[in-house]
Amino acid sequence: MTPVLRLLARRLGISLIVLVGVSMLIFGIARVIPGDPARIALGPNATAEQVDALRESLHLNEAIPVQYGYFVKDLLRGDLGTSLYTNRPVTQDIAQFLPATLELVLFAGILMVGIGLPLGIWSARYRGRWPDHVIRLVSLLGVSAPSFVWAVILMLLFAFFLPIFPIAGRISDIYEIERVTGFLLIDTLLAGNLAAFRDAFWHIVLPAFALAVSGIGQAARLTRANMVETYDKPYIEMAQAYGFRARRIARKYAFKPSLIPSLTIIGLDFAAMLGNAFLVEAVFAWPGLSRYGVAVILRKDLNAIIGTVLIISATFLIVNLIVDLLIAFLNPRIRYSQRGSS
Amino acid sequence: MAIWNTSLAAGLLAATALVSPALAGGTLRLDEVAVGELDPAKASDYADSILMFNVYDTLVLPAQGAAGHVPHLAESWTSDGNTFTFTLRDGAAFQSGNPVTADDVVYSLDRTKALGAGLSYLFGVVESAEAVDARTVRFTLSSPYAPFVASLTRLPIVDKALVEASKAADDTWGEAFLSGNGAGSGAYVVTAHNPQEETVMEKNGSYFLDIAEAAPDQVRLRYGLEAATVRTLIAQGEHDISSQWLPPEVMKALADDGAQLFTEGGTGAFYLKMNTTKPPLDDVNCRLALSEAFDYDTSIRMIAITDEVSGGSPATGAIPKGMFGANDASMALMQDLDAAKAHLDACAYDPAEMDIEISWIAEVPLEERFALLFQSNLTALGVKSHIVKMPWALFAEQVSKPENTPHISQLFVNAVTGDPDTLLYGMYHSSTPGTWQSPEYLNDAKVDEYLEAGRMAATEEERGEAYAMLNARLMEIAPTIYAYDRQSVFAASSRVTAPALTDPAQAFGLDGMGFTFRLMEVAD
Repeated sequence: MTPVLRLLARRLGISLIVLVGVSMLIFGIARVIPGDPARIALGPNATAEQVDALRESLHLNEAIPVQYGYFVKDLLRGDLGTSLYTNRPVTQDIAQFLPATLELVLFAGILMVGIGLPLGIWSARYRGRWPDHVIRLVSLLGVSAPSFVWAVILMLLFAFFLPIFPIAGRISDIYEIERVTGFLLIDTLLAGNLAAFRDAFWHIVLPAFALAVSGIGQAARLTRANMVETYDKPYIEMAQAYGFRARRIARKYAFKPSLIPSLTIIGLDFAAMLGNAFLVEAVFAWPGLSRYGVAVILRKDLNAIIGTVLIISATFLIVNLIVDLLIAFLNPRIRYSQRGSS
Repeated sequence: MAIWNTSLAAGLLAATALVSPALAGGTLRLDEVAVGELDPAKASDYADSILMFNVYDTLVLPAQGAAGHVPHLAESWTSDGNTFTFTLRDGAAFQSGNPVTADDVVYSLDRTKALGAGLSYLFGVVESAEAVDARTVRFTLSSPYAPFVASLTRLPIVDKALVEASKAADDTWGEAFLSGNGAGSGAYVVTAHNPQEETVMEKNGSYFLDIAEAAPDQVRLRYGLEAATVRTLIAQGEHDISSQWLPPEVMKALADDGAQLFTEGGTGAFYLKMNTTKPPLDDVNCRLALSEAFDYDTSIRMIAITDEVSGGSPATGAIPKGMFGANDASMALMQDLDAAKAHLDACAYDPAEMDIEISWIAEVPLEERFALLFQSNLTALGVKSHIVKMPWALFAEQVSKPENTPHISQLFVNAVTGDPDTLLYGMYHSSTPGTWQSPEYLNDAKVDEYLEAGRMAATEEERGEAYAMLNARLMEIAPTIYAYDRQSVFAASSRVTAPALTDPAQAFGLDGMGFTFRLMEVAD
């Protein structure tokens, strides 16, 4: 087995254990927080008998470990149960809402990497000069305010005072796009409707940027700090002494080693955006999974809470796995350490 | 610099051209809290009531601008004690094309009772429903129940044949199908439903009543929009009617920008409910002291949106104005600190030792302001108090036991059928203590007697008398502070006309029914 495969197998094993732990934790927490799910589902006017009957059918009168047993039994058949909020299978709800959030987060992730890293490189390259000062100030602003503040500011600036971008939703009402992947930017292209693609693209810019601002600032600051440290290394001085061009030194000798710690943080930021997406989704009326997650928590919709948390956790773990593999690819020492530990 | 400015202007122009095109007239866009499922048998709150009233029809409708009910799917009815017989309108059809028959009415009732959700408890009194023939349906009640006809405004008639044909084999009542689809005869047909985004409805071209040409062709009921988003959408002409849940400041800002303010009221009130089992509030004089000390005038000012429109009007007693037994508008309740002190002196408990727990529901920030107002009123009376924030779920659990129920619980309660019985029986009858509506735990023989008389009365005059006596009795024993009669306010763009929400003579007196889309008009 190659070192990378060994790393992958090890990480997958750990991820599985983490998922089981998360499921147990969230299963327990969801059941001990105040509020009777049956009462909430049936409404405040339902009679005590009606509430009791629903509790019985949901096994809520059983001990929590017994309830968990029912959950695992259903889960092994791919059944996450029915949502009391939408009265649909939770898997169906997740399949409907997850692509919207993933599309938003992926777009925000691209902005984070595409803007944050170049800003960090630029800032380090012009250390102590005005571009560096401007970028550091802007980055600090980015990380200082939470996403929802940026969402409201961006909406006010670019949808209210200067109506350039749409205010809400994923696409204008006039377009009806057949759902294939659930990712509108892809589905509009598959439908061959460029006007709809442009419209969907225009809808995602503001929410994705609001979600990414903090990550952009973080990536820029971290990349700059790491590169500045690398620039002080003797091999960079030697490259400079050899008369290599500044751009080549930055790209080939300073950036690659500086990328490793940045990548770890970017991976964490990317995963954190899944959770932070809720407020951005709320402001821009983005029908995604994060918003659904909060709706079901408020309604104490037990099956949907567990389903949503498991999916977000799994996505978090997958992103981290990809980051680990990328780091292993970039840093030979990690690959060698895997070989050494076998 | 000139080149830069020109480039910027060109860029903005190009970008603006990419913005989503504004919708043409004929589409009404409004928002509400999210509706998870469309099943009419589970409809109980404002948002799903709006859907229910437009996608489904009921046998009767509340009369507009007057008391009583008028025929709708039924063309007439007779009552003989515990039996009500309805004759269905000839020619009414479901959106599927199936005729509306007595069988559908029986099926709808059986389904509602079997699911036991939403407002199904209203039909607990129905012993049986029988389809006498295709156009005649007979309900037999287990005991006299005067508000039965009013309850029928909450029995949406479902297309039995369509549900039976569409449901899964193991889904007895077609719950999965009706969660995401309509099966009614209403003036609007559901064309799309996304619980996170919106429900889209289109005008039913074959509706059995005439629908004005200017009534919206399409309605988009959007869900869960934030206040800032609604404000921006309305300002940009991309939204037509806000929900009632906008903060008053946002509502006022929209009105200042030229939005209309629609209102709907007369079915409920805002209450500060006192736990009558917990010292010192088990002493009637102490409760009367607190009632007299409450600053009713300030409470009205706190909910004012503009000089003309407010989220409520002064309460005149225990029954909201416009209902059976309500006091005249001239009898508005007023703060009287002298009377409050006199009652406090007569109270068996020492005011110096009192510590009143004032709760407010965490999801309703307005209640915190009322908690602070009431705390200052109590301080003026020399009574100590403390404020407790409680999430709804915790509150609903705590009130199930009198010892866990706070001294003061703040609640908005509405009559779900517009009849005072559905407002007051659940609050005050001794057989229904410990629900979210009844944290008073009232146990008063006279109150029970008047509530039962209101149910058993044969005529509306008798009912009016029973509720007038109930009103007087409740003011005498003060289980509740009647802060104000509630009114829902909605901000709307100038392109919408909604007579049921602007003209009291056309109002229905039933929450949500003002949003009967077929009676609205949308300008292009």
